[in-house]
Amino acid sequence: MRLNHYSLAELEARATALRRHVVRMVARLKIGYLQQGLGAADLFAALYFSELQLSETDPAWAERDRFILSTAHNTAVFYATMAERGLIPMTALDDYTVDGSPYEVNASERVGPLVEATCGSLGQGLSVAVGMALALRRKGSRARVYVVLGDGELQEGQVWEAALSAGGFGLDNLCMIIDRNFMQVEGHTDKVVTMDPIGAKFEAFGWAAEEIDGNDMSAIVTALDAARACRGKPYLIVARTLAGAGVDFLEGRLSHLARITPEDADRALARLEGAAS
Amino acid sequence: MSDTPIRTMGGFADARDHRHEALNSRTYGRALLAEARADPRIVCLGADLSQPTETFLFRDELPDRFFMMGIQEANMVGAAAGMARCGDVAFAHSFCVFITRRVYDQVAMQVAYPRLPVKLAGFIPGLTTPLGVSHQATDDIALMRALPNMTVIEPSGPEQVAAVVRAAVDHPGPVYLRMQVAAARPDETTPLQTFEIGRGHVLRHGEDVALLACGRMVEASLAAAARLADHGLSVTVANMASLKPYDTDLAVSLARRHRIVVTAENHSVIGGLGSMTAEALMLGGATPRFGMVGVQDVFAEGATTEYLAEQYGLTPNHIVQKVLSLHTL
Repeated sequence: MRLNHYSLAELEARATALRRHVVRMVARLKIGYLQQGLGAADLFAALYFSELQLSETDPAWAERDRFILSTAHNTAVFYATMAERGLIPMTALDDYTVDGSPYEVNASERVGPLVEATCGSLGQGLSVAVGMALALRRKGSRARVYVVLGDGELQEGQVWEAALSAGGFGLDNLCMIIDRNFMQVEGHTDKVVTMDPIGAKFEAFGWAAEEIDGNDMSAIVTALDAARACRGKPYLIVARTLAGAGVDFLEGRLSHLARITPEDADRALARLEGAAS
Repeated sequence: MSDTPIRTMGGFADARDHRHEALNSRTYGRALLAEARADPRIVCLGADLSQPTETFLFRDELPDRFFMMGIQEANMVGAAAGMARCGDVAFAHSFCVFITRRVYDQVAMQVAYPRLPVKLAGFIPGLTTPLGVSHQATDDIALMRALPNMTVIEPSGPEQVAAVVRAAVDHPGPVYLRMQVAAARPDETTPLQTFEIGRGHVLRHGEDVALLACGRMVEASLAAAARLADHGLSVTVANMASLKPYDTDLAVSLARRHRIVVTAENHSVIGGLGSMTAEALMLGGATPRFGMVGVQDVFAEGATTEYLAEQYGLTPNHIVQKVLSLHTL
């Protein structure tokens, strides 16, 4: 069910809670997907506490909205979100990347039906989303399909096959969010492959597109509303997110795999406690 | 209307007379349509090749379950997986090279790993097209059988295609079908063949030599068997259409009862029927004199099927010569 009774302030508080989980989960490993997790916390809070229709009691509910994390590696925030939403046990976060645990670095469907596809081999998630959107539309389902791609992932050719196809089929039950954090393994995305203007590229492929501040909860919720209201086209939200958002001394540090000391983790948690109070 | 088999053209000949033939199940297109009429879960995806993959019948009769994805096989495989995750049984079509090697990672991650009911239907197996090396699939069996959860099937021809399609529908997981497009007028004199996943079928019983073949090399093996009789050799021929799971019990038992075993495949001898038979026999403790007829670790070129078979060792005569060389060791 959609939990659209949350106020913006409550959604922001949820995002802060997710950030605390991210810091704790990555700090235990000393290195990990910290900066992306902090950056995307607002998107995940909006999606799972305002937008997605899901069932805590029946994860495989046929009418659930589908969510695909195509990059698959931003799992600290993903698992934290599912745990906060009650879709996986909170103790799962203690098992993050532990040998034998289903909570791997790259999310796999070993977690359960809410990992809708095993991605991580970049560029594949949007194609699966297109297939789901086509199948759900054919069956007359009201369920919608959401897919989050990384901005670096746009360099994969298959994304553009899928984009062409989604536009051509007019899949208005499909919403893609590009986590535009300007970060990939090699460094700043623009120093690897120039990708702007992203929205205009997709518009040329038959999509509706808008660019927002991906750390502005009001902007995120408004964009998701616009996506749901859009008819005849798939909807793209290019969400500019700030690496390390919410922790001042981490903000803007572009690090695909960030190291964090126990002392910095404590400092970060203190900042986030301050934000929550 | 020409009676020339269109398989030598890789499927580009006009196949319109399929529509006006009496209902029969000697073409993949008719077999799939018949299954889909009875099973609303079946959807059909194409990558620009409705004619040469025999899916135009499906397109015309069941348009709401037909998805033309355009020339983008990677996206088609991902989309088929997405449909399968929503309850569909998705048949995705292209040429053998493009539905396997071109999309190997997509198949591995989105189809094989999650064991989805996606059926990858490929046409133009091995060296059966003048379109050249780009369109010749000589490593597809090797690639697909290396994937966990994947089933790999190559029917002997039109006489077995309907049984193979039925098995693919009934099997809950992913399947790769390696097929040759039917002739405009498939031969009605060959009896329809049965098929069961994991089982080979002995078509002819002999005592000295066992020929294990798949696809079009089944017919070549039967022809070779007849010629070997002139050399005083009694030959068994088995159609090993189920390439994965392979009928290792049959392979080993034939190897124990025959002095010579030769495999015949329209595919590289590396990783295909020859390799899997050698593995089965070694693991099963059978030690016949053993040979592999197939493409010998080379790329080919565009030419007629007859020329290619002659040049790359895929004729009945090549099977005969391989057997005789083992016989006189």
